Amino acid sequence: MPTSVLIVDDHPGFRASARRMLEASGYAVVGEAADGAAAIAAVGELGPDLVLLDVQLPDLDGFEVAARLRALGTDAEIVLTSSRERCDFGSAIDESPARGFIAKSDLSGPALAELVG
Amino acid sequence: MIGLRRALVALGVLAFLLGLGSAALVTTSDHASPRGLLLAVVLIAGWSFAFTGLYAWGRRPGNNIGPLMTAVGFTWFFQAFSTANNPWLFALGFLGQTLPFAILVHLLVSFPSGRLQTRLQKVAVGLAYLATGPLQIVWALFIDPSQQSDCGGCPENPILIDGAEGISEIVNVFQVLGGVTAIAIAIGLLYRNWRRSTETERRVLTPVLATGGLAFSILLVQLTVGELGASNTFQSVTFVASITVFSCLPFAFLFGLLRSRIGRAEEVTTALSAENEQLTAELEAKVEELRASRHRIVEAGYAERRRVERDLHDGAQQRLMALTMTLRLAREKMDADPAASAELLDEAMEELSAATAELREFARGIHPVVLSDRGLGAALDGLAERSPVPVEIAAAPAERLPTPVESAAYFVVAESLTNVARYADAELATVRVERRNGSLEVEISDDGSGGADPDAGSGLRGLADRVAALDGSFTVRSEAGEGTTVEARIPCA
Repeated sequence: MPTSVLIVDDHPGFRASARRMLEASGYAVVGEAADGAAAIAAVGELGPDLVLLDVQLPDLDGFEVAARLRALGTDAEIVLTSSRERCDFGSAIDESPARGFIAKSDLSGPALAELVG
Repeated sequence: MIGLRRALVALGVLAFLLGLGSAALVTTSDHASPRGLLLAVVLIAGWSFAFTGLYAWGRRPGNNIGPLMTAVGFTWFFQAFSTANNPWLFALGFLGQTLPFAILVHLLVSFPSGRLQTRLQKVAVGLAYLATGPLQIVWALFIDPSQQSDCGGCPENPILIDGAEGISEIVNVFQVLGGVTAIAIAIGLLYRNWRRSTETERRVLTPVLATGGLAFSILLVQLTVGELGASNTFQSVTFVASITVFSCLPFAFLFGLLRSRIGRAEEVTTALSAENEQLTAELEAKVEELRASRHRIVEAGYAERRRVERDLHDGAQQRLMALTMTLRLAREKMDADPAASAELLDEAMEELSAATAELREFARGIHPVVLSDRGLGAALDGLAERSPVPVEIAAAPAERLPTPVESAAYFVVAESLTNVARYADAELATVRVERRNGSLEVEISDDGSGGADPDAGSGLRGLADRVAALDGSFTVRSEAGEGTTVEARIPCA
C-alpha cells in the first residue's frame, strides 16, 4: 500500500514536477491544493498519509496550515517545503507541528522517505 | 530745475518781506480791529500758505496745487493792505481781499491733482473768481468804506465813482449769490471726492478736505446769515472763525502728506511682511511635499525590492526548482528507462528556455538594456511591440537625452501601457514624447473606459514621485467614458 500524498503549492509547474517525482518514487499522489484553505479541506476529504506543504501560500502560510491541521486532529505527516533555505525561517520550522522541512532544491523521493521513515 | 528752485527761493524771500510789510501796515493802522488777531491771522495764514505752497511746488512742479497754495498765501496779504492808512494801499486791499477765497475754492475742488476736470468744478471755480474778481472791482468802484459803520477811521476810497448805496448793494447781492453757490457746490464736490477715494487716498485727502469743508461751511453761514442782517459781532466771530480754519489748511495739507508717507511706509512693511509670510508658507509646504515625496520614494524602493524578490521567487525560481526535480528524475531513470529519461531532458530544456525568457523579461523590468544602448525611441518601439493593446507612437525623440530623463519617460510610458492593458478596455493607445520649451513632454492616451483614480494605485503615484524628483509635473485625466490621458513634463534643457 503506497503512501498517499497531498501536494500543497500555489505554483502549478511545481505541483506537476513534484507529482511526477513522487509517483516515480512510489508514492501515490491523491490530490493537489493551491492554497491553505483548499489544503485543509482536501486533508479532511482525502485523508492522505503525508502532506507536502509549501510555506508561502497566497492565503495562509504553511506554518498556520500545519497548526490548524493538527488542531483539527489529523494524523497525516506534514512536511514543509520552500524554494528558500531552512535558515530563512529561523525557529519557525522547529516550533511547528510539521515533521520536518525539505528545501525544494533537495526534494526527492529518498529525501522524503528519510525524513518520514 | 535749478531755475525753478531759484525762482521759488526768490518768491519765498518776497513772501517773507510781504509778511513784514503787512505786519507794519496792521500795526500802524488807524482802523484795524482787533489788531492783534488780525496780525496773527495775516502772518500765520499768509506765510504758511506761501511757504507750504512753495515747498509743494518744488516737490511736484507739474502739479498745480503748489502754485495755487502760493497764490493764496500772496493774495492773503491783501487782508493787511485793507488795514492801511494810505488810501491807495487801502483800495488795493479791499480790491483783492476776497480773491484768496476764490483761489481756495480752486485749490480745494481740484485737490489733489490741481486740475479742474468736471464741468461742475469749473462752474464752482468760475463763480468764485467772478464774485471775487470782476464783481469785487465793480463793487469797489461804488463803495465808500469811510462812510460804513464797521469801518471807523478808514481812509477815503480813491477809486470811488459813486458812493450811492444802491449800486454797491446790488453788486454785493450778486457777489454773495455767486459766492454762496460756488461754496455750496465746492462743499458737495469735496464730499463726493472724499466718498470716491480709496483708503490710501483718504490719508492725504481727509485732513485737507475736512478742514476746507469746515471753513467753507463757516463762510457759507457768514455770507448767508450775514446778509440776512446778523449783528456785527456775529459777522466778526464767523469771519474770524473761517479765517482761523483757513489758516489751518496748509498744516492740514502737510499733515495729510505726512500721513500718506507714514501710511505708505506701513503699507510697504505690511506688504513685505505678508509676502514674507506667504513665502514661508510656500516654503514649508514645499518642504512638507519634499519630505512626503522622499518618504514615498524610500517606500517605493523597499516595495520595488519586495516585488523583485517576489517576482523572482514566483517566476524563475519556481521554474528552476521544477527543472531541478525534472533533471533529478531524468538521471534516476537514465539506466532503467533511457527513453523516459530523454523525454524528461527535452522537457527540462523547454523549462530552461522558459526560465531564461522570464529572467530576460524580468531584467528588462528593472532596467531595459535597449534604453541605455539605443535610446528612448527604440525602447518605446519595444514597449509598443510587446503591448497586448495596439500602440501608435505618434512622436518620439531621435536624439539621446540625459539618462534620468530617458529612464523616467520610459517608465511613465511602460507603466501607463501596462495600466491600459490591464484596466482600460481600450482598442488603441497613443504615445507622444516630444522635446518642447526646455522640457520633455510625455503623453499616453487611450480610447478606453476612463474613470481611473490616480490616487488609488501605488504605480501612478510612484511615477509622479519619480517625475517630481526631476522637478517635473505629472497629471492624469480620466473622465469616465472618455479614455485616460497621462501627461508628464520633465525639465530637459
